[in-house]
Amino acid sequence: MRSAPPRTDRPTPRSRSRAGHRPALTALACTTGLLLAACSSVGSSSSGGQTGSDVGQTAQSVKPGGAVTVALSAEPDRLDPTLARSLYSRYVFNAMCEKLYDLNAKVQIVPQLASALPTASEDGRTVTIPVRSGVKFADGTPLDAAAVKTSLERHLTLKESARVSDLGPIDSVEATSPTRVTIRLKAPFAPLVAALSDRAGMIMSPKQLKAKGDDFGSDPVCVGPFKFAKRVPQNSIGLVKDPNYYDAKNVHLDKLTYRIITDASIRAANLKSGDAEVADTVSTEDVDQLKSDSNLSVLESASLGYQGVTFNVGNANGVGTAPKVGNAPYAKDKRVRQAFEYAIDRNVLVKTVFNGLFDTACSAISPASTFSSPQAQNCRQHDPAKAKQLLQQAGVTMPYRFSMLTSNTPDSLQFAQALQSMVKDGGFDMKIEPVEFTSLLDLQDQGKFQAVQIGWSGRPDPDGNLSTFVETGGSQNVAGFSSDKVDTLLRQARQSQNPAQRRTFYGQLQTALQDEAPLVYIYRQRNLTGVSKKLSGVQVFPDGIIRVARAGFTQ
Amino acid sequence: MGRYLRRRLGHSAVTLVLATMVVFAGVRALPGDPALALAGEERDPASLEAVREQYGLNDPVWLQYLHYLKNFLTGDLGRSVRTNIPVTELLVSALPVTLELSFLALLVASLVGVLTGILAAVRRGKPAEWLANGFALIGLSVPNFWLGLMAILYLAVAVPLFPASGYVPFREDPAANLHHMVLPAVILGFGLAAVIMRQTRSSMLESMSTDYIRTARAKGLAERSVIGVHALRNSLIVVVTIVGLQLGALISGAVVTEQIFGLPGFGKLTVDSVFQRDYPVIQGVVLVTATAYIVINLLVDLLYSVIDPRIRVTGEVA
Repeated sequence: MRSAPPRTDRPTPRSRSRAGHRPALTALACTTGLLLAACSSVGSSSSGGQTGSDVGQTAQSVKPGGAVTVALSAEPDRLDPTLARSLYSRYVFNAMCEKLYDLNAKVQIVPQLASALPTASEDGRTVTIPVRSGVKFADGTPLDAAAVKTSLERHLTLKESARVSDLGPIDSVEATSPTRVTIRLKAPFAPLVAALSDRAGMIMSPKQLKAKGDDFGSDPVCVGPFKFAKRVPQNSIGLVKDPNYYDAKNVHLDKLTYRIITDASIRAANLKSGDAEVADTVSTEDVDQLKSDSNLSVLESASLGYQGVTFNVGNANGVGTAPKVGNAPYAKDKRVRQAFEYAIDRNVLVKTVFNGLFDTACSAISPASTFSSPQAQNCRQHDPAKAKQLLQQAGVTMPYRFSMLTSNTPDSLQFAQALQSMVKDGGFDMKIEPVEFTSLLDLQDQGKFQAVQIGWSGRPDPDGNLSTFVETGGSQNVAGFSSDKVDTLLRQARQSQNPAQRRTFYGQLQTALQDEAPLVYIYRQRNLTGVSKKLSGVQVFPDGIIRVARAGFTQ
Repeated sequence: MGRYLRRRLGHSAVTLVLATMVVFAGVRALPGDPALALAGEERDPASLEAVREQYGLNDPVWLQYLHYLKNFLTGDLGRSVRTNIPVTELLVSALPVTLELSFLALLVASLVGVLTGILAAVRRGKPAEWLANGFALIGLSVPNFWLGLMAILYLAVAVPLFPASGYVPFREDPAANLHHMVLPAVILGFGLAAVIMRQTRSSMLESMSTDYIRTARAKGLAERSVIGVHALRNSLIVVVTIVGLQLGALISGAVVTEQIFGLPGFGKLTVDSVFQRDYPVIQGVVLVTATAYIVINLLVDLLYSVIDPRIRVTGEVA
């Protein structure tokens, strides 16, 4: 009888071998490195990942073997770490493509295919990553520093690569020994280690890359508890246990099938009927029903992302063009945007629209982040009288009319309608413009909107949740927002060598952003995952990815 | 007959080209493009541009269409922008699912529709007719998706007789395949059964009031023979026409049914590819669907000649 241990305290060769070196590496990373998220991770990595009702099932005795079906809400795109863009491909990768680093339940970075946390030079421009030895890809070839270099260089150079911006200003990657990779940067880049804990850190088999080239995604080969078996377009992706995996003895299941079931109620029905054991993105409306089923449980974990309303402050000619502050009051007068925030009662919205299952959000930094601080969570409290007063000071006629684009999904529409009715009391007359999701992306990128309700799934490093959205010229700065103060703080936070200092910078950023309010953050989804009680060891961390590879059927 | 067939084939080719042109221009008129849909929330401008470049999305639409035609003539329908799977492979994998679903739904609809139609005609003014009419009314007015959800709720979750959704290829496990197809086929066939029932009923009533039926009865034929051979055979020609026309509705109904039951067929492929602005897939789907419509219409016309020998003689549609 074996137990399904939580992901990060499994007795792996890696954790045993690095135990003695960890403090030294930590100190080095913290004192000299730029890899700040990693600093706080070490203590917890030795104490193990968190399992509990909010992130995963408590480990119980499990039996070997069995096949599990995970119901996914959308079809993953290419199963190629360099080219993949959707969240759903990350679910599948989690079981078959390990990364240099991983996240634990506390959103701290821990080594995975790296043997320890990285070290950095004094100037923060040279980062050294020790690579684990004795690890094989699913095709039996060994993983070494040269393979890491091949993958990182592919991420950086493949024309369609979606990883270039993740990896930041990398100048070169060198395999300085079979177990050591040295990355040289053009400028210090603190979010690098967080990027290496996502798809940019996935290492692909050089043999398979050579054989398949750009078509690697049709038959991906990486290092992981499971390996790719087959894909039935639109329907499913099948994985089987990989005997070459270095920790195969702690993998209990034989087979994993990711089945695409787009409708939330049908996913719930499949869970209830036993046709699926795990289902992602349970609708808040289905949670009570699933919880009342004695065979099922619903895992809830905080998310790193947010949902909110973005105002078109200066996006006159589309993203990528120079910001030009518009003439409309919501664009040129921050008091109008502040008033909008005062008009919102986040608690009531979350309770009424999402049955209280989601969290309120006032900033881009999740309270689950190690970079959160009281200042970063500072919130403008609901005060409709104050909202009206600000509108009056701004000299606009009340009710102040504007329109908000929103996705035409039932959940989004319901939220928009509740918001519409709520902000009336604060002196707003908000018109809802529902559009299909891709059209919404197109309209917002072109700047053809007044306000838009949209969110972000979140990244472990706060820079990934802020820079692209609020930095001048950011690739997703659809608000067309530009502020020297914000730009400076973002740059300082990105390049700072000190975690405490970074935390302070992000607190200051929140204050600056809240004053300007180009984005009004409203709520933070919780990752709701339905799981059969027959399974033990399924985990969902704040990155939203379902970790099912180490689960097993209970005895 | 040969000349008629040639003319019909000529018309079909023109229709096909027009359909591809309309869809080609239509999907490009939608806001957003495959690169944007693919990127979703991760819209890095450089990689968006690389995707656009790779799929020739920056070229003028007419040039893209010419490329498409050229590739099509060499048998290359391109690759899905989202998954990079060749469109031909997607079509080959989706087509059997929809064909099987449509065939089974048609089977259910024909059996149920014809039988209840005969019953309603023979038992005119009696409770059996009221029941059959009630069934037709429900079949015509209740939407597919609701029936589908109810079926899943009661026949898969509450009483687990059938799987809630999903698909198993026939060649992998025929029994599991049919087990998965029962609910979708019945749900999809339900609406069509109602149409067939009403049509069979009215045709039968018409046939049964004709002189040759009276003659058949007068010469002492058994009622079963009168209804089953004489009345039904003559009523079926109209029913077959209706079934042919309704096949279009069946395929569009399959879009909803496949979504509900998670069947990886044509309907689901169409909907997903439109949402993803996956141009190569949409174009492939339209090409095959338009071809299917044209072939079905052609087959129905040819089927007339089998059922009604007078058409075979003149070679023209009555």
